[in-house]
Amino acid sequence: MSETTREPDARRLATDARDRVRFEEEALALSDQVYRVARHLVGSREEAEDLMQETYARAFRSWRSFQPGTNLRAWLLRILTNLNIDRGRKIQRTPDLQPLEEGDYFLYNKLEATGDGGSDEDRVVERLSQNDVVGALSEVPHDFRDVVVLVDIGDFTYADAAQILDIPIGTVMSRLHRGRRILKQAMAESAVGGDGE
Amino acid sequence: MTAYDPCAHCEEMMQPYMDRVLTDTERAEAETHLDECTYCKKRYRFEEKLRQFVRQAGQEPMTVELKTKLAGLRTPLQ
Repeated sequence: MSETTREPDARRLATDARDRVRFEEEALALSDQVYRVARHLVGSREEAEDLMQETYARAFRSWRSFQPGTNLRAWLLRILTNLNIDRGRKIQRTPDLQPLEEGDYFLYNKLEATGDGGSDEDRVVERLSQNDVVGALSEVPHDFRDVVVLVDIGDFTYADAAQILDIPIGTVMSRLHRGRRILKQAMAESAVGGDGE
Repeated sequence: MTAYDPCAHCEEMMQPYMDRVLTDTERAEAETHLDECTYCKKRYRFEEKLRQFVRQAGQEPMTVELKTKLAGLRTPLQ
């Protein structure tokens, strides 16, 4: 009699173990993509590495709450952004929101005006350095940066970003719009200086 | 109210255009303007290049050490 109950139990355990291994393998296969986003959400490589380890530790612990067939990369990033909110933001002061009068053409206009007279788009974008982008991104307030990084670097849709950050899609759109403008303003300051130098 | 400024309108459309969330009508409207306005066209092209640039900026692969650490977090097999 015990044989008949033990057999399905053993099978269930085997299935469970296989599902878990599969989950872990799939999650690890996405780690490069998750890291790409993590690295842009936080200021340093060390922070990104800590965040990745916390994220994967939590993901492996709570793998059963992942629904197979749904977007695993989004699920991992939901854990990661929540952990980032919990840990990083306690120690970071909320930056004052500067008035943002400039429109979307601001960065181009600024780069073109301070360049060598060329207005070719390729040449103008070449006036930016990678450091300008990385530095500028770190100046974008967290709430805005999360959305910009998820959509523009992580390639998530508005809907995915809304789900990951647990905010309405309209908020994703408005933060994205404003966040990109803040980013451009910061890049302009970094590339050409506040006084056009 | 100020007069309708097609370039200001086109500037407002730039982000949704790049994100491909405009309706067909809005998209066609933006493209008609872009066809005849080099000022806006240059800035749209710049935005496209800028987005690629931002996407590629600061890309550094994970270190082997981190990969090993992540793999080490897996549940040990019984």
